Amino acid sequence: MKAMSTRVAHAVMVAPVQLMLVLVIGLPSLWVLWLSLHTTSFGQAPVFVGLANYATVLADPYFWHALVNTFVVVNVVVYVELVAALAMATLFASGVPFRRTMISIILAPYAVSEVVAVVIWKYMLEPDVGLISGLIALVGLPELAWTTDRWSALTLVSLLSIWLHLPFSFLILYSALLGVPKELYESAAIDGANAWHRFARITVPILMPAILVALMFRYVFAFRLFAEVWLLTGGGPARQTEVLATYLYRHAFRYQEFGVASAIGWLMVVGTLLISAVYLREMYKRMLSADA
Amino acid sequence: MREGPTRRAGKLAALALIAIWSGLPILIVVLSSFKPPREILAFPPKLLFSPTFENYRALIVRWPEFFEALQSSLIVTTGATILTVVVTTLAGYVYARVRSRKLAASAFMMIVIRMVPPIVVTLPLFPVVNWLRLNDTHTVLILLYATFFVSLNTWIMKAFIDQIPVELEEAAIIDGAGVWQILRHVIVPLAAQGMIAASTFVLIFSWNEFLFAFIFTTTEAKTAPLILSEMVGAVDGVEWGVLFAAATLQLLPILIFVIAVQKYVIAGMTAGSLKG
Repeated sequence: MKAMSTRVAHAVMVAPVQLMLVLVIGLPSLWVLWLSLHTTSFGQAPVFVGLANYATVLADPYFWHALVNTFVVVNVVVYVELVAALAMATLFASGVPFRRTMISIILAPYAVSEVVAVVIWKYMLEPDVGLISGLIALVGLPELAWTTDRWSALTLVSLLSIWLHLPFSFLILYSALLGVPKELYESAAIDGANAWHRFARITVPILMPAILVALMFRYVFAFRLFAEVWLLTGGGPARQTEVLATYLYRHAFRYQEFGVASAIGWLMVVGTLLISAVYLREMYKRMLSADA
Repeated sequence: MREGPTRRAGKLAALALIAIWSGLPILIVVLSSFKPPREILAFPPKLLFSPTFENYRALIVRWPEFFEALQSSLIVTTGATILTVVVTTLAGYVYARVRSRKLAASAFMMIVIRMVPPIVVTLPLFPVVNWLRLNDTHTVLILLYATFFVSLNTWIMKAFIDQIPVELEEAAIIDGAGVWQILRHVIVPLAAQGMIAASTFVLIFSWNEFLFAFIFTTTEAKTAPLILSEMVGAVDGVEWGVLFAAATLQLLPILIFVIAVQKYVIAGMTAGSLKG
């Protein structure tokens, strides 16, 4: 009787979280799959069209444009962040002055909303007055014409994303590095390993699990990129800088093409699951096989 | 390890670069919000200026809706944070204490569901939210924000509760305590740190979120980032002074919060991403 009521209590305790996830994310995601196989708009009964929406999307040059943009930005952002975070974590692990204050400063962009980040970077790139545009002119480089040029705009989007998310990558790698026993480095130093060897032979291999986790999460989150692009360029000029999420938004909420938008949405879900497949498989093994 | 002077100088230079990259952009906005409008567009930027509240006064006069939006943000953030912490403490406790195949399977599903990009669920939710008349309400944002964080936060809570010795509970059970008493008198006091760590992420996210607010609010429930985006996109040119004042008001509270709870942010990030 006692065990029974405890079991019920446990079920009641897990239920809210499970219900929220299933009702707000799980079922709607499956519904997107269903929607993607139908044509539908406001006030119209859905009609089954098979894979026609996918055909429409895949035949749309703007989709490929958005896909290429997303692919380039995501990869640039994720790997620049990784290298910078790795360098910073190594620097911090070797002991630095003002450690606590510096970590607060590094963490600061984590508190900044995408909107405010856009305000900041727009201002810094304002011709004639901005700090960065001034710096660019000083070095003699051409102006970053982010309002008119596709790759300039995407460069700015990438810079902004890196600035916002570097704290996350840094903290994951840094806290993993703090767990590395000091003795490893000491014995390596006795063996005559120089700094580069210590980094390549000890730091990187030990950090590998953390690096992979940081990479996976950053890929998954960077793939969702929306606000930075939407607020900076709106996907323009002439849809040149669209990414998958803004492409989806445009088709759903501007053109009211929910079928087409759902096809993109489901492609994004599949893309995300592919990106995280290795991680998910690892988690599956750890959680379900070990338990059996 | 002993360090030579060159090595030390190199380190300081690297630190200075890092500080400029991370901190300077924020500093510029906050400082500029106190500059007289004319001086904001001066280049090179003036470092010495007599601070003024001119921009803030202009903000109050021209964008009164910004302050309503700040209030909205506060309501939504508080609601989402409380909801998340309550439901994930309950779930985290069960995942920490009970082993069963069903639970393991549901935990795995939580991780998979966490991968779904938020914009995807807006498609089917948009008509549903309209139908339920939840459009443009705080409720819909609270529910959305909380749901996108229950998975991570259940994990964080599980990691923290795992560290509480089961013996404490066993002692309470002998004293005749039920599940709820154990939760209230044993788990919650000892897992308080975890609850703070877990709450920071959803709190920061809810305060800053753009996409859901953009899609699901029109007038009443608009949050601060949304009004800020309207100010950026104002057709008659950007008024930097007013914009900086608004940006500072949106940014400063959460920035101070993040720095204050720094230690919990780090603890939560490690618990949430590495262990699960």
